[in-house]
Amino acid sequence: MRLSYPSNVKVVKLPCTGRVDVLLILRAFESGVDGVYVAGCMEGECHFLRGNLRARRRVEYVKGLLEEVGLGGGRVEMFNMSASQGQRFAQFAREMTERIRLLGPSPVRK
Amino acid sequence: MSFEPKILSFLCNWCAYAGADLAGISRFQYPPNTRVIRVMCSGRVDPAFVPRAFLAGFDGVMILGCHPGDCHYISGNIQAERKIALLRKVLSDEGVGSERLLLDWVSAGEGQRFAELIRGFTEQIRSLGPFPKTEEIEGKLRAIRTSLEGEKIRWMVGKAPELMEKENVYGERTDPERVREVLETTLREELCKNRIMGFLEAATMTAKEISDKLNLSLKETLPHLVSLVGEGRIGFDTSEESHYPRYVRS
Amino acid sequence: MELSDRTTNKDPAKPVGAVMVVGGGIGGMQASLDLAESGFFVYLVDNSPTIGGVMSQLDKTFPTNDCAMCIMSPKLVGTGGHRNIRVITHAEVKEITGPPGSFEAAIIRRPRYIRADKCTGCGECAKHCPVTAIDSYNEGMSKRAAVYLRYPQAIPKVFLIDRDTCIGCGLCERACLAGAVDYGDKESVEKISVGSVILAPGFEVFAAERRPEFGYGVFPNVLTSIEFERILSATGPHRSHLLRPSDGAIPERIAFIQCVGSRDVKCGNDYCSSICCMYAVKEAIIAKEHVPFVKPTIFNMDIRAYGKGFDAYYERAKADYDVRFIKSMVSKVREKQGTGNLLVTFLNEEGKASEEEFDLVVLSVGMTPSQSVRDMAARLGVNLNRFGFCETETFTPLATSREGIYVCGAFQSPKDIPETVAQASGAAGAAAEIIASARGTLAIKKEYPPESEVKPEDEARIGVFVCHCGINIGGVVNVPAVREYASTLPNVIHADENLYTCSQDTQEKIKNAVKEHGLNRVIVASCSPRTHEPMFRETIREAGLNKFLFEMANIRDQCSWVHMRRKAEATEKAKLLVRMAVANARLNSPLTETEVPVIQRGLVIGGGVAGMTAALCLAEQGFEVFLVEKEDRLGGNLLHLHHTIEGGDVKAFLRGLIARALDNSKIHVLLNSQIVDFNGVRGNFTTGVRTAPDMVYQKIQHGITILATGAQEEKPDGYLYGEDPRVLTQLELEDRLDQAGDDAIQLQDVVMIQCVGSRNEKHPSCSRTCCATAVKNALKLKKLNPAMNIRILYRDIRTYGFLETYYTQARREGIVFVRYDAEESPEVKKEGETLLISFEDKILKERMTLKPDLIVLSSASIPRENKELANLLKVPRTAEGFFLEAHMKLRPVDFASDGIYVAGSAHAPKLISESISQAYAAAARACTILSKDNLMVGGIVAVVDGERCAACLTCVRVCPYDVPVVNVRGEAEIDIIQCKGCGTCAAECPARAIDLMHFTTGQLEAKVGALVEG
Repeated sequence: MRLSYPSNVKVVKLPCTGRVDVLLILRAFESGVDGVYVAGCMEGECHFLRGNLRARRRVEYVKGLLEEVGLGGGRVEMFNMSASQGQRFAQFAREMTERIRLLGPSPVRK
Repeated sequence: MSFEPKILSFLCNWCAYAGADLAGISRFQYPPNTRVIRVMCSGRVDPAFVPRAFLAGFDGVMILGCHPGDCHYISGNIQAERKIALLRKVLSDEGVGSERLLLDWVSAGEGQRFAELIRGFTEQIRSLGPFPKTEEIEGKLRAIRTSLEGEKIRWMVGKAPELMEKENVYGERTDPERVREVLETTLREELCKNRIMGFLEAATMTAKEISDKLNLSLKETLPHLVSLVGEGRIGFDTSEESHYPRYVRS
Repeated sequence: MELSDRTTNKDPAKPVGAVMVVGGGIGGMQASLDLAESGFFVYLVDNSPTIGGVMSQLDKTFPTNDCAMCIMSPKLVGTGGHRNIRVITHAEVKEITGPPGSFEAAIIRRPRYIRADKCTGCGECAKHCPVTAIDSYNEGMSKRAAVYLRYPQAIPKVFLIDRDTCIGCGLCERACLAGAVDYGDKESVEKISVGSVILAPGFEVFAAERRPEFGYGVFPNVLTSIEFERILSATGPHRSHLLRPSDGAIPERIAFIQCVGSRDVKCGNDYCSSICCMYAVKEAIIAKEHVPFVKPTIFNMDIRAYGKGFDAYYERAKADYDVRFIKSMVSKVREKQGTGNLLVTFLNEEGKASEEEFDLVVLSVGMTPSQSVRDMAARLGVNLNRFGFCETETFTPLATSREGIYVCGAFQSPKDIPETVAQASGAAGAAAEIIASARGTLAIKKEYPPESEVKPEDEARIGVFVCHCGINIGGVVNVPAVREYASTLPNVIHADENLYTCSQDTQEKIKNAVKEHGLNRVIVASCSPRTHEPMFRETIREAGLNKFLFEMANIRDQCSWVHMRRKAEATEKAKLLVRMAVANARLNSPLTETEVPVIQRGLVIGGGVAGMTAALCLAEQGFEVFLVEKEDRLGGNLLHLHHTIEGGDVKAFLRGLIARALDNSKIHVLLNSQIVDFNGVRGNFTTGVRTAPDMVYQKIQHGITILATGAQEEKPDGYLYGEDPRVLTQLELEDRLDQAGDDAIQLQDVVMIQCVGSRNEKHPSCSRTCCATAVKNALKLKKLNPAMNIRILYRDIRTYGFLETYYTQARREGIVFVRYDAEESPEVKKEGETLLISFEDKILKERMTLKPDLIVLSSASIPRENKELANLLKVPRTAEGFFLEAHMKLRPVDFASDGIYVAGSAHAPKLISESISQAYAAAARACTILSKDNLMVGGIVAVVDGERCAACLTCVRVCPYDVPVVNVRGEAEIDIIQCKGCGTCAAECPARAIDLMHFTTGQLEAKVGALVEG
C-alpha cells in the first residue's frame, strides 16, 4: 500500500509474539534502543492460539520494570493488528515514534 | 493608468519567427505588449507552459507556427494543434483563460499578418482586462499545470496520433473516439485529484466541502477521493468523531 | 514445469494419478492441497486471473470475526507454491472426454499479456497506466488501471492487461523493467490428462436489480451485502472507513434486508441461501465495531443461525452490539427527497404497514451459480437441479451425474466457508478413491544434491545479494551503497546487486556464487520473507546448502515502500537491516529434519454413517482400518431413521453401507469395543481397545485417528413427555409412522414444538436438523391423512438450502406454522384425559388453547458420551460437549493435535448427506499423512537443555498445544513431531533451558545488538 512511516522503526521477525522474552526486551534497552513495541495478531486470532496474550502480559510486566528503574514505562508497548491492517501498522509506527521522540533518548545511552 | 496587457508569444523558428522579422524589415507596426520566445517548432510548446505563463503574470499567450502542411518538421504544428486543443478544452471547462490563448499560423512571408495577429490579440486581451488572479483560479491553474506535467497525460498525448492513425501495440487501430475519451477522462481525473490535493494543503475537509469547492456533485467527487485514498495520497482525520469524516493529506 | 511427459496416459487400464480441480476459491484450494499432499498431481483451473474466490473479498468471517485474508493467505501461498499443484488461471474448461480414471480435459487459457515467468508483481505497470477501469474486486466502488492485479495478496502475483479497456498505448511495456509485457499473447488450448475431476466453481451473488422494489442501482445508498463487505474491508474503497455512497457521510441507521433473491418463488429462487443471516449479523457487528454510534437493524423472516456457534453469535449481536432484529419482510424502499436517506416500508409482526427512515440499506443478496458455470456444466454433461446448482443425491453428496466428476462448495448447494472447506476435503477423498492405485505416479519428488556440512565452529562465509526490485527499492534506497556497506561487514565474503533477485537467472547466479566463493550463509536483501523465503531457501538447497542457512532482509515492504520520500534515511535503514541480517546469519545453523516412518493404518472410532463412510474411503484407497463401535452393531443414529426429507430410503442405504463395511477385507470391525488408552503422535499412535463381553484387550498401532462418535436425540424434559403416551419425540413419531402408518390416519390434530432443549441456556446451540425433520414428518402425516390439522410451533424455521422447498410445500399443503418467543414457550397440560396445549398467537394477539391428539417434540441433538474419550485423546470439546475442531473456519475436520480428525454429528448436529461429506473429508485429511511413508519432523522447534531444566512446569502450562511433558529424568521434554514452533515456552522458561531453533535467544539478541552498535 506504500504507506509511509518513520524509518526509525526496525522490525525483528518472530514466529509468534509469544516468543518475545522479557529479557530480550530488557536486553534491547540495555544495548541502547529508545523504545520497543511488540506487534501481534488481534486478540483471539493468534496463529498459535494465545501467544499474543502472553506477550501482552510480559510487555505489561516490562512496563512496570522500566517505570521502576526510571526509564519510563511508555518506552515499551504492545499492539495488535491483523494482516490486512497496513494502515494500522503505519499508524502505530508513527505514534510510537512520536511518543519516544517526546520521551527523548534513552538514559541508558548517556 | 490604463491596462497594458502582458502577452507571451511562442514563435516557431521557421515560419512565425521569420514572419516577425519580416514585419520588422517591412516596418509593420504593432503594439509592444508581447514578449517573444523563439522555439524551433510550435510542436515544442509544452501545454504545461501555458498555465505556467498565466501563473507567472501573463495576461495572454500566443503560439504561432507554420501553416498546416508547411511545417519544417513535417507535422510538429499538427501535433501542437492537438495538444493545444486539449489544453483549450481543459481551460474552458475550468473557466480559466481559454479566451486568452491563441494558436495560429504565420508563414515566413506573412509579416503583415503577423502584425495584424499581434494587434488583434493585444486588443482582445486589453478588452478582457487583467488576468483575474483569485485563489481559486490559481489553484485551478496549478492543478492543470501539475496534471499536464504528469507522465500519464504526456505519454497519452504523444501516443494518441500513432494509436489513431497507425496501430497500437496489438497491431490494431484504436478508435479515435476511445482515445479522446480516455485522454479527457484521465486528464479530468488527474485535474480533480490535483485540485483536491491543493485544497487539502491548507486544511482538512469533508467530502461535501471538497465537492462544493470543485463545483461537482458529491457523486462525481467521491470517486476521486476513493482513488486518492487508494493511492495513499490522502487519508482520514481520525482526531474527531463525526458523521462527516474529514480528509487529510497523508 | 514441462507437461509433455504427463499429457498422455500410456496405460489406459491404469488410472491417471492427477486430478483437475475447477475453481480456485477456498474450496478449490483446499481440495487441491489435500490431493497434492496425498501423492497426486493437481491442475487447479480458475476462470479468474487469480485464485482466492469470493473469500478474498471478505473482510471478516463469522462467527469468529477472523480477518478473512489473514486466515486465507497461508492457503493461497501454500497452493501457489506447491510443487504438485499447477495453477492455471484466467482459463476455463472447454470439454472433458474419455472414461473416468483417464479423462482428457481441454483448457482454454485466455491471454494475460503479462508473462507469468517474468512478472515480479512490483506494480510499476499499473502505476503508470493511463487508462482507468472499474475495479470489480471492490465491486465497482473504486477504479483500477487497465493493467492490474485483482488484489494485493493475489496468487499468482502476476499482473494482467484488461484487453477490453486497454487502448494499447505501450506505456506499461516501457515501465516494466522485468520485460514481462507481451502484447503478442494469444488464447491457447491445452490438453491435460487427469483421473478425476472436482468442480468447485463457487457462486455469484443474486443480481439485486431483479428486485426493483428495493431500488438497487437507483438509490445510491442501497448496497448489496458484498459491496458493504468491501466498504468494511481494510483494502476496500475507503480503507475500512464506513462511508455511504451518496455523500461520503457515516451512516448511523443501517437496515439489512434479508432474503433478497432467496426464499423467493417469484424470482424462481425457492431456496434459502444459507449464509445471509449470519453474514448480515456479522456485517452489523463489524459496522458497530468500526463506528460505535451505528444502529443496525436486520429485517428477516427467520434468523437461520443453524451452524456451530452461530446462535451464540446471534445472541451476542442482540445483547452486546444492540443489533435490532425485526421479523418482517420489507415491501418497498424509496428515497427521501434531497437527503439520500431511505424510507423502508414493511409489515410489522402484527400485520400493520410501517415505515422507518434509514441512512443506508444493505440487501442481503443470495447465492446463485453464474451463467458461465451453468454453461460449463452443460459442456461437461453434468446435470443441474432446477435452480442451476449441481445435482447430487442425498447419499452421494459429492458425486455429480457424470462418473468421475465430483463437486464441492456453493455450486453443490449454498453453504458457508467451513462447510465448503469440509466438502472440498470430502471431494478430494472421493476423487482420490477412484485413482488411488495411481498415487505417487505423477507427483513430483524433488531430488537434491547432498548437503554440504556446515559445523558450528566453521567460520561463516556470507554472501549478500541486494535487490533493486526494478525501481521499487533502487528508486529510493541507494542499492550500490548498501552492497558496498554489506561487503565491509564481518564474515561477508561476497556482496552483489541484482535488478530482480527473484528472477530465474539470478537463482543461477546465487548458486554459482555459493560454489565459487564457498559460501555457507546466504542473505537476500529484498522483499518480504513471507512471500519469497521459500523460493530462496529452495535455491540454496539446490546449491547444496541447508535451507536454514538462508536469511532475508526486508528492505522493500518495510523500508523503500514506506520511506519513499526520505531516501537518505531509507538507505541508512536498509544498511542497518542488512547488518541485522548478517549478525543473525552468522548464528544460523543447519537444522535437520528427520524422517519418521508412518504406520499406514487408520483408526475410526464410531460405527455410524460417518465412521463407516470414513473407514470405507480409507479402505478403498488401500489403507487398513480399524473401525471401533461400542454398540453391538454398526449403524448408529441411522438405525432409527426411515426416510430422508427428499424421500431417500435410509434403511436400504444403511444395509448397503454396513454390508460394504463388513465385506471390505481392509476394514477390521470391532463391535462392543471401547478405547481405554491412547498414546503417540501423528503417524504413530498406539491405542488400547477393550472388547465386551470378555473385555479382551488389544493394542492397535495406527497413523491417524478419526472420531465419529455421533450424537443422539435428547430425552426431553417437561411437556408431559414420559407421562403421557401422546407426547412423543420426532424420532419416536418416525418409528411409529413406519411401523403403524395406518393408525396415524385416526389423528385429527397434531402439534409439533420446535427447539425443545435447544437454544436455551443449558444448550445454546441450534440442533440444525429438527426443523427439516418436523417438516418431513408433518408432510408424511399430511400424506396419510390430508384432513389432519398440523401446527408447528417454532422460533425460527431453519430449513436452509434446498430444504426450503419442503417448507414451502408444507405451507402449501395447509400445515400451519406459529411462531413463539423463547420467553413464552407453549404450555402443555392435562385436564382429565384431555391433552391441552396453549400458546401465544402473534397475529391474533391472543392466547390459543388446543386439544391435540398428539404432541411431537423436536428434541435437541446432543453428543453421545465422549468425555472420557476426549480426555484420553486430549482433544477439546465445546461447552455442550461436541468436539471442537482446530479452526472453526478453515480446519473444520482437523483437531489442533495433528493426525486426529472429526466427522459427523460428533462435531455438531448434521444431516446424513453432511455427515457423509464430512466423513470423506476426514478420510482425505487423514490420507495426507497415511499416503506418506515417512514424515519430516524437526526444523523450527523448541529444544530443551535438560541440564538446566528445573522441571518447574512453566512450559507445560504455557504451551498452547500441551506438548511439553516432564519425563522420567525429571526434565521437560518437547516432542519435535508435535511442536509447532511458536516459541512461547522459550520466552517464559525461567531457567532459559528452552530455546527455539532458528529464532534462538542468541540470534534475537544479536539482531538487537546489531541494531544499535556502530
